[in-house]
Amino acid sequence: MSTIETAEAFAIARAFFAGMDARDVNGIMARVDPHASVTLVPLGLQGDAETVGRQYFEQLASAFPDLQVRVRRLFIGKDKTAVAEITIEGTQARDFFGILNQEKLMDLDQVWFLHASGSVIDQIKAYWCQNRLYRRLGVKRLDRVTITA
Amino acid sequence: MSVTISPGAIATVTAFFDAYRVHDVERMVDLCTDNADFHYRPFEIWGRQRVIRGDGKVRTIGKAIWITLIDAFPDLTNQVTYSTADDEGNVAVEVVISGTQAKPFGTFGNLGRHYDLPHVFLFRVNTEGLIEEISAYWDTADWSRQLGRLEVD
Repeated sequence: MSTIETAEAFAIARAFFAGMDARDVNGIMARVDPHASVTLVPLGLQGDAETVGRQYFEQLASAFPDLQVRVRRLFIGKDKTAVAEITIEGTQARDFFGILNQEKLMDLDQVWFLHASGSVIDQIKAYWCQNRLYRRLGVKRLDRVTITA
Repeated sequence: MSVTISPGAIATVTAFFDAYRVHDVERMVDLCTDNADFHYRPFEIWGRQRVIRGDGKVRTIGKAIWITLIDAFPDLTNQVTYSTADDEGNVAVEVVISGTQAKPFGTFGNLGRHYDLPHVFLFRVNTEGLIEEISAYWDTADWSRQLGRLEVD
């Protein structure tokens, strides 16, 4: 991979996470091929960017209106995959993928793989610990995610 | 995503998972620098007075966790499904770790269940081919469900 391709992959990844930090869903999606494969491992969601990706980012932006995204580490693999360790933080204000809003603060470490093709991302995969998110947001049991008592 | 090759760093990481697969913890540790950092990001045990986290050094926290895990899951194994690396010693690996529980592990009482759990491991490998830092991610909720524990604690 050339130095220019590496720089381009860095720029795309940084713009992607800047969009996340700004809760700018259209800004994020502008960096992503609408047909890009998106896999959100802890949610068991897999599909294309325009459905699965947009749904995730819209819910994230809506549920955590004070969302902050901090990129802790970013490197570009030789296969043009950006690997990012990030931390997201925010206070819940609406339900999030079935988790009822208890107005709790969450901080969550995540890893994202963003594969670049030309000037857009064509594959996305993300990992995090959903158990930590449940704990932060007040969920007591895995079989009662939507129940708080 | 295809598997890419970066000989030095990838070779070290491959050796690390080979050693892990045969439960050779000493070899896993020997592949790391004396002061290698260790971060198992999801690892949190909440006590009444404090929270124990999986952060520290390979030779202290990391080695202890690996030994305890292998003891609790005696058929523990791993399968690397994807890896990528740059020229600076950064390596990312997707790996499925599997095992059948034979003893309690942390808050997981032993129900004798089997698990297969996707992980991401991120390594920083120095120019001498030794690991300077390990970070790992997985979903403990998925792990808990597979082992039969439904409490979030």
